[in-house]
Amino acid sequence: MTAFVEECRQEWKRLGVPNLLAEEMATELESDLAEAEADGVSAAEMLGESDPRRFAATWAGERGLVSERPQPGRSRKRFWIVLAAVLVLGFVLGFSALVFLATTGAHTTGAPPTPVPLFVGVKKHQAVVLARANSLDPAVIRVPGRPRGVVIAQAPAAGARVRRGSTVLLRVGRG
Amino acid sequence: MRRMASESRRSQMLRGVLDLCLLAVVLDEPAYGYEMTRRLRERGLSTVGEGSIYPLLGRLERDGLVATHRAASDGGPPRKYYSASPSGRRALTEGVRAWHDVRGEVDAVLATIEGEVAR
Repeated sequence: MTAFVEECRQEWKRLGVPNLLAEEMATELESDLAEAEADGVSAAEMLGESDPRRFAATWAGERGLVSERPQPGRSRKRFWIVLAAVLVLGFVLGFSALVFLATTGAHTTGAPPTPVPLFVGVKKHQAVVLARANSLDPAVIRVPGRPRGVVIAQAPAAGARVRRGSTVLLRVGRG
Repeated sequence: MRRMASESRRSQMLRGVLDLCLLAVVLDEPAYGYEMTRRLRERGLSTVGEGSIYPLLGRLERDGLVATHRAASDGGPPRKYYSASPSGRRALTEGVRAWHDVRGEVDAVLATIEGEVAR
């Protein structure tokens, strides 16, 4: 009899049933089984179950004492939902990017953008050559400043990506 | 073989109303687990072979249909006593009404069969 209760205890412990409640159930069961035995009722008759672990698990489960473990089924379901969301988002973003590209740069010049070189510090005639070599149209403005004949400012800034054939403004020092 | 089949039918039928029977025996006076089994037996309902009453009691407790308290039993160790809570009483009233409805409907269908078998 106590062996049955002892196995129940172990099962409750394994299932994470709080100690106090497990002890309460064990005591209740032990007293009842002892009294039943005195009445000539065996444990099997009384419990209708010969497997203590199964009995313990059912009881604790029905009492709502078995902590909710992450159900494999549930987490798998969540995984598929997240995957589907990521795929849908990916498709939407990809499609938007395609539409954006089709309606902007590509359709006006038919060529990909080109980066603007660093012109500042370069002599004026070299800057002009550099601009043309990069498919850009140089517009030179002479401004007060030093060094003379050297680019002291540019627009757009170096590294900016612009369409081929765009104009770059080069401010060249007048000294 | 036939006996086993009939026992299993009995179990199946009892399963739907055993919780009502448990509530009924603690309606007027609280009882501990084994005492409830005894009260059922005294009223002619044997729960032997019907599975344990404890999981059922656990469910009633979780659902708040029974209240529990600890008290000393007659000369024995302190026991956990169960009694029907107000919502347990309501559930019992509704359950008994449903049981009577079902019993009446099933009897109406099966009454003629009973006569034929008896002949």
